Amino acid sequence: MTAVIADNLPAFVIIVPLFAGVVLPVFARRQRLVEGLVVLAEAAGLAGVGFLAYIVFTHRGTDWVYQMGGWPAPWGIELTVNSLAVFFLFAVMAVSLPIALFTMGNLKDEVGSNKRTARFYTLFLLLVGSLAGMALANDLFNTYVLVEVATLSCCGLVSSRGTPRAAEAAFTYLVLATLASSLVVIGIGFIYVTTGHLNMGFASQGLAQAWQDRPHVVWLAISFVLVGFGLKSALFPLHVWLPDAHSSAPSPASAVLSGLAVKGYMICLLKFLYVVFGPALMKEFSVDRILVLAGMAAIICGAVMALPQDDLKRRLAFSTVSQVGYIYLGFGLMDENGLAGALFYLASHAAIKSTLFLSAGAMIASAGKKKISEMAGIGRKMPLTAAAFTAASLGLIGIPMFSGFIGKWYLIAGSLDTGDFLPTVIIIAGSVLCAAYLFPVIRAMWFETPQKAKQESTVQQECKTAVQHAAEHMPAGPGVPREVRVKDPGAAQKLALILLTAVIFVLGVVPGPFIELARSAAAELLMLR
Amino acid sequence: MKTLLEKLIVNYPYFFAMVLFSIGVMTVLTRSNLFKKLLGINIMGSAGYILFIAAGNIRGGTDPILHQSDPGTVYVNPLPSALMLTGIVVSVSVTAFALSLIIRLYKEYGTTDARRIARMRNEVTKSDSSDRG
Repeated sequence: MTAVIADNLPAFVIIVPLFAGVVLPVFARRQRLVEGLVVLAEAAGLAGVGFLAYIVFTHRGTDWVYQMGGWPAPWGIELTVNSLAVFFLFAVMAVSLPIALFTMGNLKDEVGSNKRTARFYTLFLLLVGSLAGMALANDLFNTYVLVEVATLSCCGLVSSRGTPRAAEAAFTYLVLATLASSLVVIGIGFIYVTTGHLNMGFASQGLAQAWQDRPHVVWLAISFVLVGFGLKSALFPLHVWLPDAHSSAPSPASAVLSGLAVKGYMICLLKFLYVVFGPALMKEFSVDRILVLAGMAAIICGAVMALPQDDLKRRLAFSTVSQVGYIYLGFGLMDENGLAGALFYLASHAAIKSTLFLSAGAMIASAGKKKISEMAGIGRKMPLTAAAFTAASLGLIGIPMFSGFIGKWYLIAGSLDTGDFLPTVIIIAGSVLCAAYLFPVIRAMWFETPQKAKQESTVQQECKTAVQHAAEHMPAGPGVPREVRVKDPGAAQKLALILLTAVIFVLGVVPGPFIELARSAAAELLMLR
Repeated sequence: MKTLLEKLIVNYPYFFAMVLFSIGVMTVLTRSNLFKKLLGINIMGSAGYILFIAAGNIRGGTDPILHQSDPGTVYVNPLPSALMLTGIVVSVSVTAFALSLIIRLYKEYGTTDARRIARMRNEVTKSDSSDRG
């Protein structure tokens, strides 16, 4: 039994979340069981990824190519377990487990009704399974199918609250994401037409020849794929759908969408560009420069657009646009340090943005206020949540000891290696802007006193005291306004926030093994080895 | 050396796929009616199907069933058709989901026009903030 699992582990890592997601609605009435199953599936996934990482570390230099159903490569479908896949799988599982923990017990308040929670978990697990698949798949069409599964689950998650605002955001997202999928599938079609292969390795060999014979078709393929995945992962001029979609989703969904889903499409694009087209073709078509320019524009414009947002979740969503820019900038540098930095930054941003969205969600749910200007003094009432938010903000800005610093350090090293100093300046300017849009939130949370009490006129206060007086003497009924106590969320939520903050600290203080894994993934992609 | 026109005539399925795709993209991006946007998505999908299936077609080829008596027969490549079956499934689920969202929006706003929905939503948010202020 264990041998069967160990031999087919790459397939199990994908199948377990997908299967659990499909089975869950059967138990929809038993809330505890559903939550337990979700956490169990996530934990099993994490354990599986841990074992895969062990295998990759012990067999350094050789990828584990798993053949689905035992069919060899040009006919069968392959899953490749290499450093890149393991790195991204680790990020997915280590971030989605705390998010699943966070949803235990309080998901009903987020999505509206008990009936919707099972649906939410189904979509969540389908998304996690398809992200795991994107990391491992070595087949163009499988990647497309997994991307579609992820896209539909994302749209479902966005609309899971059921408000008309969410439905509108989900429809816009669905239209643009499907447009992107069509672009991707036609790009894959061009690759298949010119090479006759859907396996990434064989397609890559075929493209080297096809580029000599039919350069225009290859050019079309690369541009369709670039725009398609760029639209899906909110690369700067194509980010229009993101703020609405991510801010109108329930908070755990925002965390998984901003933290993980966007990264999945980026990993797909990375594999298409580096593994299928190859670094030489990328240089030939200046894709690297396009990525660097779009990344720099994203860093600055995303941060500038985040500044005037008063809605906390919208500000965080615009911040995602900016942070996506850093990762694309690193992808475009085509340098070992830069690429390793981009991958590390991807994992670090996954943990940081999930923490930010989850703690913001807890504060919004507890205080009932969405605006930053109304959050004054909330840090004293919810110290742990606010502390997690603060730690994650410092990480996003790139203060040493937090994970964002290491990522930015390697990105700057990479941009200096290429001899172009403009990206370096933009990275540092982006950090300053990031501080400019996050520090006001922290200041409001910890150092400002609530203004409402001062503004209230004496008449209103008198009314209030009268109401309170009446409430004390009357039995509490539905008509009596009850003061909601603002406090930290429950134990599972606290544990989730502590786990995520611990991930940010661990990545920032002992980045050694992770940066090592990212570097070996970068070396694989750049074919230095 | 073949002229461009000859190339187009020989490869007409690809040409039509691209024309269909452009029509689809134009519909999605320029129409404000949600149903028309959805139709545009489906037209784009059809372009993808045509591209793949045309790539699998071999002129004069038969259905891909192995005849042991005549091993030299030319077959149509069955793989793209199989792939597009998956593509159609994806497209159907996208359509179903989008229709459910449109119903939700129509129940709320009484229209399926994206611009009018955006205007009504902005008015609601404005009145919300003025109430609070």
